[in-house]
Amino acid sequence: MTERSARERILEAAAERIAGDGIDAVRIARIAMDARVSTALVHYHFATREALLAEALEYSFETAGDVRDAEGDPVTRLRAMIDQCLPLPGELERDWVLWVELWLRAVRHPELRPTAAKLYARMNDWLRAAIEEGDFGDVDAAAIADRTLALIDGFGVRALLGDPAMPLERARAEVWNALAGELGLRAAAPSG
Amino acid sequence: MSPRPTTGHVRRPAILQAAAEVIAERGVIGTRIADVAERAGTSAPGVLYWFDTKDELLTEALSFADDRFYAELHGELAQLDGAPARLRRIVEVWPAEGDDEAVLWMELWVRALRDPEVNAARERLDGRWRAAIADIVREGQATGEFAAVDADEFALTLGALMDGFAIQLALRDPAVTPDRVREHCMALAAERLGLGEAHDTKSVR
Repeated sequence: MTERSARERILEAAAERIAGDGIDAVRIARIAMDARVSTALVHYHFATREALLAEALEYSFETAGDVRDAEGDPVTRLRAMIDQCLPLPGELERDWVLWVELWLRAVRHPELRPTAAKLYARMNDWLRAAIEEGDFGDVDAAAIADRTLALIDGFGVRALLGDPAMPLERARAEVWNALAGELGLRAAAPSG
Repeated sequence: MSPRPTTGHVRRPAILQAAAEVIAERGVIGTRIADVAERAGTSAPGVLYWFDTKDELLTEALSFADDRFYAELHGELAQLDGAPARLRRIVEVWPAEGDDEAVLWMELWVRALRDPEVNAARERLDGRWRAAIADIVREGQATGEFAAVDADEFALTLGALMDGFAIQLALRDPAVTPDRVREHCMALAAERLGLGEAHDTKSVR
């Protein structure tokens, strides 16, 4: 067993367990058991719960990275990107739970804020670049990216919590309609 | 003679006020009933007389803070002239509410992930906030100050936008300032409601 694979197994197990039990309640021994390593090794790699949460979240984001490189025309690409940012069932839903845990944890533990800021900045750059590359005319790509991300979080957290006012499909439609409106695409907004 | 346990002599509002403060500072996990009791000037049994669990204390403390917030908000809104000014005020009070309120909301979201009762409380509080926004939109539509969009839909979108930005503010993202957030929110209002233009009141539903 190489060092690298043990670390990856720990991160995968941590992402799964933290999403299930929450960062406060999760037991490190349980993560170690899932990853088939000793508790001491988990502590060796990750000195604190904050470090484990931060790295598990980054790991989870990176493994989703291949689908984030959406292809196609600018509109198809932006729609696929919005889907990647919402709590769709499966891995994205798990990422979202970690994301919500990170918000609160980062407020309480300032050492996590750089992780949160880095993840936000990455999403923002990614979205802004897609808008700029899409050639949508004279639009403020940075401001649109800011608003779109805020809407994704505001709608996404409600969809994640199963709010009857905001089922996932509606969250997708709302975020897309807002973005399409800002890009002057309203009439062309696809329904599905 | 041993002292009797002190239960119920401190009133519920004092405990809720103390709970809101302590939970905002330390989180639900980090808060002990004894901390709330100390802040409220009572004993742990004095707190447990009113609340069975910490989650109950959290949701009740938020409802309490919420009641006070709306009482103040309605007082302020009543003094403002016109729906656009009222809507602007709504947008201003949210990020200005300070970190405490945003942090309590985050606590609620995290607890709601795993506790249906907390989630139900969250939905109720969220619905109230959206209704406050929708009411102002309807007022503005009745007077022709706002365009005839669906008021509830607009409230949902503005509420989501404000929450999304509140997260970034609470995390102290250097790229996000309260002024910038207000600009974004008012830009959405201008785009959807057409602030400052004359609207036909006949088409309002």
